[in-house]
Amino acid sequence: MSLERPDSVDDAAVERTPDEIEALLGDLVVDRDDHLNAPGFVIRPDTVQETLRTLKEQAGYDHLSVVSAQEYENRYESIYHLKKYDDPTQEVSIVVPADKDHPVSESAEPVFRTADWHEREAYDLIGIEYDDHPDLRRILLPETWQGHPLSMDYDKDRPQIATLPAHANPLEEHHKDAESDTMFLNIGPHHPATHGVLHLKTVLDGEQVADVEPDIGYLHRSEEQMAQSGTYRHQIMPYPDRWDYISAGLLNEWAYARAAEDLADIEVPEYAQVIRTMGAEMCRIAAHMLALATFALDINGDFTATFMYAINDRERVQNLLEDLTGQRLMFNYFRLGGVVWDLPEPREEFFSKTRDFLDQLPESVEEYHNLITSNEVFQMRTIDTGILPPEVAKNYGATGPVARGSGVDYDLRRDDPYGYYDELDWDVVTEDGGDNFSRLLVRMREVEESAKIIEQCVDLLEDWPEDERNIQANVPRTLRPDDDTEIYRAVEGAKGELGIYIRADGTDKPARFKIRSPCFSNLQTLPEMANGEYIPDVIAALGSLDVVLGEVDR
Amino acid sequence: MGTAPAQLFPEFIVDTLGLDSVIGEVAASLVAAFVVGNIILAFTGVAGPWAKRKITAAFTDRIAVDRIGPYGLLIIPAAAVQLLAKELIIPEGVDRPSWDIAPILLPSSALLGFSVIPMGQLGPINLHLADPEVGFALVFAFASIASVSLVMAGYASNNKYSLLGGLRAVAQNLAYEIPLIVTAMSVVVFSGTLQMSGIVGAQTETLVTIAGVSIPSWYALVNPFAFVLFLTANMAEIGRNPFDIPEAPTEIVGGYQTEYSSAYFVLFYLGEFVHIFLGGAILAVTFLGGASGPGPESISFIWFVVKIWGFFLFTQWARAALPRVRIDQLIEIGWKGMLVLSFANLVLTAVIVGVIA
Repeated sequence: MSLERPDSVDDAAVERTPDEIEALLGDLVVDRDDHLNAPGFVIRPDTVQETLRTLKEQAGYDHLSVVSAQEYENRYESIYHLKKYDDPTQEVSIVVPADKDHPVSESAEPVFRTADWHEREAYDLIGIEYDDHPDLRRILLPETWQGHPLSMDYDKDRPQIATLPAHANPLEEHHKDAESDTMFLNIGPHHPATHGVLHLKTVLDGEQVADVEPDIGYLHRSEEQMAQSGTYRHQIMPYPDRWDYISAGLLNEWAYARAAEDLADIEVPEYAQVIRTMGAEMCRIAAHMLALATFALDINGDFTATFMYAINDRERVQNLLEDLTGQRLMFNYFRLGGVVWDLPEPREEFFSKTRDFLDQLPESVEEYHNLITSNEVFQMRTIDTGILPPEVAKNYGATGPVARGSGVDYDLRRDDPYGYYDELDWDVVTEDGGDNFSRLLVRMREVEESAKIIEQCVDLLEDWPEDERNIQANVPRTLRPDDDTEIYRAVEGAKGELGIYIRADGTDKPARFKIRSPCFSNLQTLPEMANGEYIPDVIAALGSLDVVLGEVDR
Repeated sequence: MGTAPAQLFPEFIVDTLGLDSVIGEVAASLVAAFVVGNIILAFTGVAGPWAKRKITAAFTDRIAVDRIGPYGLLIIPAAAVQLLAKELIIPEGVDRPSWDIAPILLPSSALLGFSVIPMGQLGPINLHLADPEVGFALVFAFASIASVSLVMAGYASNNKYSLLGGLRAVAQNLAYEIPLIVTAMSVVVFSGTLQMSGIVGAQTETLVTIAGVSIPSWYALVNPFAFVLFLTANMAEIGRNPFDIPEAPTEIVGGYQTEYSSAYFVLFYLGEFVHIFLGGAILAVTFLGGASGPGPESISFIWFVVKIWGFFLFTQWARAALPRVRIDQLIEIGWKGMLVLSFANLVLTAVIVGVIA
């Protein structure tokens, strides 16, 4: 089922016990700090690269999912959450404490490229410095920002005054360069094809791209901090809808629900799981439809019919979601332990509407194939452009349709099952091209798989005995997970692996709430795809990544 | 049909009003040009704010303007007031006066093209301003001035997106003007004249007669291959999908027009629409028998209108349906594909005409 890579030697597939890993790491381990999801090993801050390299090369932990950082009373701490692309249930956490007065820790960037942005974010928000990092700058906040907002001594009342020189165009000196004949071009933050407020610092050689650097943070809304000041039971759930706000709401809510339910040991009734699965897949269809629509916009131009057709189909599924949740965009439908209410009455009407949608969906997908994927000009534009080789994709921690478009067979719905997915009959879609076309094709085929899942859920729900329709487990009014328990849990969001890391401190609010955004990691691959290509291909590559800036910046 | 070309429009005015002095002729010419120019501008006025929206909406399952007036038609004056009332923003560092000349040059070059187009008859009036012996060459020359305007706008705007748009416009026009004109030359080989009335006249002869209906020898029917070539090159010439590369809003944010607002913006749009209509007119004259069609000669202007609006509809259809090619792919198609095909077409036509005639 999974695509074996040539260098994924036997060692990689073998599942190791925590003690075996400890033996493998030997002297590198100074302590144990197990998390609920994975064994955790504490190492010295100057052995990060050695430890991660050993785990990557000798034990097959090839996926650095996320780097979460935080400050304690007596130390700083970075945690590297490692997984395997072949089997994401095999996890290991590498805990790196850093000195309270001089928080310096070795960078993991030479081992995992994806650590680049993750460590920049940790530096920006927490204040840990990473030695050997190629480019340790702020990433979400402006470069003139004073203080690190998630550190303990951060003074939020301190005025953030950026002086006039800081406002001067920082790029001026790059405009003219006597040595080279390249041209610097700002694409965004306001540009028709950046799909939000994204800024691409582009260096052009004629029409060709010599270098592109995404500059993010324009939509940073302190989502992590807001979650940290809400109570587990009710106050956090509305926020996930606002991360990936392009109709992927339920998928995001599930990420929080899964992490918090595992943290507080809550069992979700089977009936609620089926409803969750159905709703989540509806969201996936809506999200992929919008991705298709905007990609057509990028390739065809702004009067394309495909855009409106896809928006039309999204509207149909959006209506179903409205019937189910009562909301069109910010659903707030999941609760810890289940969902907020049962299917809308009359149930038959909802089922028949859903079936109508599923019946006409193949016809729509066929039309998109006629309109775009089978169009020669479209193929000319997208095939073999914006190539992301599978090894590079893994190195950057790419997930979701971006990774699957590069032939990386990784889907948490199957590989790390949750909800009702493992009871249903569906397939993980992969394409081997690694180009813009493959990523689009993956999304289009996933829409059909999602439709299969919804259909099976509808069948199940229709026949569900009336007295067993339990939509919520019994959950205490106030949740206070044990002090110093930590968990990292991920679900397959519309864009890829959407994970939540929570550290509980015995109160009813999380002490640290870290969001692993798939778009954040996926966007980091853009320079790999775009360098050397033409401007239109950069636009196409960005469109095929399908980033939502709300989720990138959080 | 097939009668001798009627009196040209200015001469008609002179004769009707009895103005046989030089001043009278000049005045008559100006009046005639004013009428023809306004007809085209009226088309553009309908096409830009209203027809284009309605057509695009029909292609994309929407309704578009329908609030003001019957079928939303009053959006036309509303849009005119709205666009002209906007502030004209002149960015710092633009290169004047070329920045100001460019938006004037584009619509005037396209309008100039209509001076030699035989637009057919409306009652006793033959809507044809001038019929010089080199009219056919002249119309392409006028149409090409548009590229100069785009380069001027792109360069004078002092904006990198505009510069890229201007450069793309040059590259695109070089790659497509040559196949366009070489293909047009194959028509001249058929007709044996560069005079517009001659080319139209040559297409009135009967090609075949099927069941009593005589099919005229429109060059689109005589040489469909050349017609397709010409149509493709024409789309690139007027810069419409799949060749709207100099503008490409999703890539270079409108290209050469990025920095233009208010009246200048309107002038650019006007110029583009007039250019589309001119493209349609050239296509009609060259391949679709000019203004000819069934029915009496005196209403042939209606057929001309149908043909150029048909072409306009075609460009909008392409816009809704076709992806945009990349600039390097476009140049490759132009130089490696179209140029070779157009020369092959020319040589073949010359051989066939030489053997038959």
